[in-house]
Parts: sequence; C-alpha cells; structure tokens
Amino acid sequence: MARIATLLFIGLFLGTIGSLSAQSPAEMVDICANQAGENATYLKDFQVKLGVAVEGRPQVARYPLVLSSNNIYRFSVCDMESSEGKAVIKLYDNNRLIFSSISAKTKEEFNPFNFMCRKTGIYHVFISFLDGKPGEAVGILSYVSKK
Amino acid sequence: MIRKTLLLILSLALLAGCQSKKGKWSGTDLDVPDSLELAADIQISEEALEEIVQNVSSPIEMAALIKEIGTPFSIDYLATTDYVDKYNTSFQMAYILGVFGADLGYLNIYDKNTQMVDHLSSINRLADGIKVGQFFDFNTLKRLATSRENIDSLMYMSVSTFNNMDSYLRSNQRGHLSAVMITGIWVEGMYLATQVAMENDDPALSDRIGEQKLNMNNLFLILNAYESQTQVQELIEVLSKIKVEFDQVQITYKMGDPETVEQDGMIMIVQNEKSIVHITDEQMKSIIRITEEVRNQLIEI
Repeated sequence: MARIATLLFIGLFLGTIGSLSAQSPAEMVDICANQAGENATYLKDFQVKLGVAVEGRPQVARYPLVLSSNNIYRFSVCDMESSEGKAVIKLYDNNRLIFSSISAKTKEEFNPFNFMCRKTGIYHVFISFLDGKPGEAVGILSYVSKK
Repeated sequence: MIRKTLLLILSLALLAGCQSKKGKWSGTDLDVPDSLELAADIQISEEALEEIVQNVSSPIEMAALIKEIGTPFSIDYLATTDYVDKYNTSFQMAYILGVFGADLGYLNIYDKNTQMVDHLSSINRLADGIKVGQFFDFNTLKRLATSRENIDSLMYMSVSTFNNMDSYLRSNQRGHLSAVMITGIWVEGMYLATQVAMENDDPALSDRIGEQKLNMNNLFLILNAYESQTQVQELIEVLSKIKVEFDQVQITYKMGDPETVEQDGMIMIVQNEKSIVHITDEQMKSIIRITEEVRNQLIEI
C-alpha cells in the first residue's frame, strides 16, 4: 500500500511539474510577437487549437479584421512546442486568397510576410495545419512602421 | 496512511488546478452583478458578434499615422486623468478605460513614457473597477515606462493588455462593457485624428478619417446588440450625430491585381485594388466639429 501511495505521489508530482512548465498560448504570443521584427508593432493575436481533419477536410480557424489603406501589415505564425501539425496562415479578401505563408504548389515557406494594404475593408485570416494534422499555434498581426 | 495519501493527492490536485498564468484565474467572476442578466438581451449570436467585434481597428494605427505625417506631440489632445475617481458605474469606467487606452497608444507611439505613468495608474484603477484588473500588470508596465529600458515591450504589453481585457469581457457575458470600451477607444482615436486634421490637412489623414465610416458602421452593429441597456441606447443616440455626418462620405473602389515583391529579404504583397475616399472640406469640418462635441460630452462626468 505504501509503495502504491509513493508511486501515486511521484506520478502526481511529476504531472504537476509538467503542467506548470508546459508552454501556454499566452507565452507563445509573447515569443511570436517578439519575433515579428524590429519595425513591427503587435496589434492582434490569433490563438488556435485545432483537431485532426474531419473526412479529409482540414479544420480551419477564421478571424475577420479591418485593415486600413496605406498601412503595411505583417502576418506571422508560430507553432506551439506541443503541436503535431505545422501551421499555415492565409490572408483572404472576401473569398479571394491574397497570400499563404506556405505555398500550396512549392511548399516554400514565407513566414512572416508583409501586406501593403491599399483598400480599407474587412479581410479574413485563416489558420490551419498542414496535411490535416491536429495542432496548436499562435498567429500575430503586426503594424509595420514606414519610417 | 490512506487518509494522508488522499489528503496529499487532493492538495496536489488543488495546486495543479490553481496554477495559472496571470489572467487565467477567475475568482473575480463571482462578484459581477451586471453580467448574466444580459445574456437574454443579445439579439444576434455570440459568433456573429465576435466576428463584428474583431472588426474595429486598433488605435495604434491612427496614432502611428498622426506621427508619420510629421505632427508634433501635444498633451492637449489627451483626456485628463484628474477625475478618474469620479467615474463610478461600470459603464462610465468601461468607456473612459477605452478613452485612456487610445491615449496610451498615442503616448506609446511618441515614446512619452513619463507622461504615461498617470494614464497607467488611471487605467489600473478602472480595470480593477470593472473586474479585469488581473490582466493589467501595472508594476511591470510602470517599470518599463519609467526605466525606458524597452519601449517595444511597453508597447506590446499595453496593446496585449487591452486585447486580453476585451476578450475576457466578451467571453464572460460582459460583452456590453467590451462594446462600450471599444467605443471609447474609437471615439478618442477619432478625436485625436480630427484635432490634428484641424491643423494639418494631410490627404492621408483625411482619407483615414473618411474611412472611419466603415468602423463606425461596425461599432453600431456591436452597440445595437446591447441597445436594451438604457446607457448603451443613450450612447448610440449621441454617436448617431457623427454617423449622420459619415453617411455623406462616399467610398469607391478601383480594381487591380496584387503584386508580390521582395523587400529587405521578406515577401511583401502589394495590393493594387484601392479604396478611394470622397470627402469634401465642408464634410470634414462637420466631422471635426461633431467629433469634438461628442467626445467632450461623453467624457463629461
């Protein structure tokens, strides 16, 4: 009985320590925002946790936002340490894809990427994971100073 | 032995349950009297509302434009923090929190850290007042402001604090306070821009002010969801004065395909579709005048 109690204690203790040290989405926002670059000012973050693809269709998180003309915006995405899948961030204007952080054709990665907006309006950020894998990531929208 | 072991397990489980980052604990949820009754008032779905709320642009962008067109800093544009104690209701506190949030963005953009401490202190008080003080790390923000050691961190923390407070209010059935706070941010941003526009008729600033017609429409969608609240209804009535002026402003669009260029080793997509703002001098003068009137009326105690 004493041995079981000791094992239970050790297991629970290690579990507690593990959960205390696990990376949180908020911590990832700090890290990812800092990586956005010197001339980038953090505006918004998108914290995403998605499951595995359903019937072959990858799950997607979608966020609407207003972008203003004559501003340069930077879009970046960072995977959580625990994420199985690799995150892709895409910018849409209505239903038209403007850009993706990973090229669908070449698989080349462009993370972060800048967008020079010339039309004030509502845009959408989509975040998903490659190959329909489950995953957890943080997307960052930053304002890029012109001077 | 079994009792002791169970007690130990329970203690550890409690420890694990209580461990949290700043902002995750919800002890203050319990004493929020005006939240639950609102759930039934919302006419549109939470999902739709979330979509609209995300659509109000940041005050940082307006302040950055004001600086980029060469406007010198002026403390006179900012709302005074002298009477912060006089704002007593949740509604008043949420509104003025938004106003000070926009002013904080302006101070941040101009690196006016010393002047920021007053605003930080007032924001701290107001955030506590509407039970979102757990997101406001006043000591760290004050240290960053006074030491000038890391201006980028100060800016980041200021913006993320407001984002966190806003999303916490919305996810805890206090969306009406989020809507009021967002309104405060927007009106103060408009006030800063229009005050600068009186002195400087820069076309980029005029366009940005005219484009606020879109944000104003979004703001009305958010506020309309809570119009059963008398104070929100009154807020809508006051803001309608600005909306009437914005209804005269026209925005047209010119089509074009985007281009991809490389700049400083990074991909940049340049949009060639453009929005064009049509705003006359008279319309601009009216918007400047009405915005000042509305802003001053709303911060009046």
